[in-house]
Amino acid sequence: MQTPAVWVICPAFNEAATIANVVADLRRRRYDVVVVDDGSVDGTRHIAAKIATAVITHPVNLGQGAALKTGIDYALSHDAEILVTFDADGQHRADDIPRLVRALTEQRADFALGSRRIGHSCNIPFVRRVFLFAATLFTVATTGLCLTDTHNGLRAFTRQGAVALSLRQNRMAHASEILADIANSGLRYLEVPVTVDYTPYSLAKGQRASDFVMILLDLFARKLHR
Amino acid sequence: MIAQAIFSLLLSSVLIYAWAEYRRSPVVALMSLVASLVGLYFVWIPSHTTRVAEFIGIGRGADLIMYLWICISLIVLLNLHLKLRSQHEVITALARAIALANADSATEGARLRNTEHETAKPAIPLARDASYKEPISMVRTPRPPPYSARRSYRSK
Repeated sequence: MQTPAVWVICPAFNEAATIANVVADLRRRRYDVVVVDDGSVDGTRHIAAKIATAVITHPVNLGQGAALKTGIDYALSHDAEILVTFDADGQHRADDIPRLVRALTEQRADFALGSRRIGHSCNIPFVRRVFLFAATLFTVATTGLCLTDTHNGLRAFTRQGAVALSLRQNRMAHASEILADIANSGLRYLEVPVTVDYTPYSLAKGQRASDFVMILLDLFARKLHR
Repeated sequence: MIAQAIFSLLLSSVLIYAWAEYRRSPVVALMSLVASLVGLYFVWIPSHTTRVAEFIGIGRGADLIMYLWICISLIVLLNLHLKLRSQHEVITALARAIALANADSATEGARLRNTEHETAKPAIPLARDASYKEPISMVRTPRPPPYSARRSYRSK
């Protein structure tokens, strides 16, 4: 079987410090990379434009969920067969992607979700660990999916899987929304162990525990309003 | 009598609002419907407010009305929040359309400069090989439409 066309989607907001390494790493492994610059003001798009397959620039900052959706739309319109979401802050490893892709092609899943709980995390702080555990409990309770890590930015979808995602949550609640859509689609999903590197940089850019309140509000609003 | 007429008018407009809102957000509509009906009832039979207030443990009928008013305000706030959300979705769709429309022209030059990273596979996958078979997981349901609408403005 010919290798499927893999497109890696990198949502980036003010990631000038890391984007070059992240994208170059992915390009070395011969993936098509679409960087979605979510209205950065630090020149992320110019750095990315030198090495990425495509750079899409949001005219205003819309949030990570919106950036993912834009990237997915773009990759689908360029005949991507497998779509990978990959954080631009350098916390993921490009080496993990082949395992996700294999989960889709060999085990015939439509969603392969990275998990740091069955994989490894380096330097994960205690507060972050508690927060992630609470988020996992919440998601398992609301979607019924059997997962060990619900807020991992490294995921892979088939075309069919990507089309099933609605991604209407622009901000951070999209992680829970993706899982809700996976549950509703009834398609096959798998968890794949991946490594997440916690650096001071990725921690500063990442979510704070207080964002959890806003995420709950967003999800509640979505239930009220369709 | 004047106050009753004014308040009836106001509360009736809330009723109409609830009716108009029902299609968009049934939960909010039902809540405002109940609130305005209760309001109308108390406007015309004010003595019942004191009885109800005493029954549920609030001293005076006027206090009860004030609490209800606060509730209604909160409902309106919630509804405004939902409206803002849906407006933001429109903005998102608009910004995305602009971003995607600009994407191809902006990255064409980058792709030319990109030769040291070019690999055996073309940057944009070309027509699919005839020998390629779809993985079984992809043929369970028909393929999604090929985004031909988007492609149309790209090819120009």
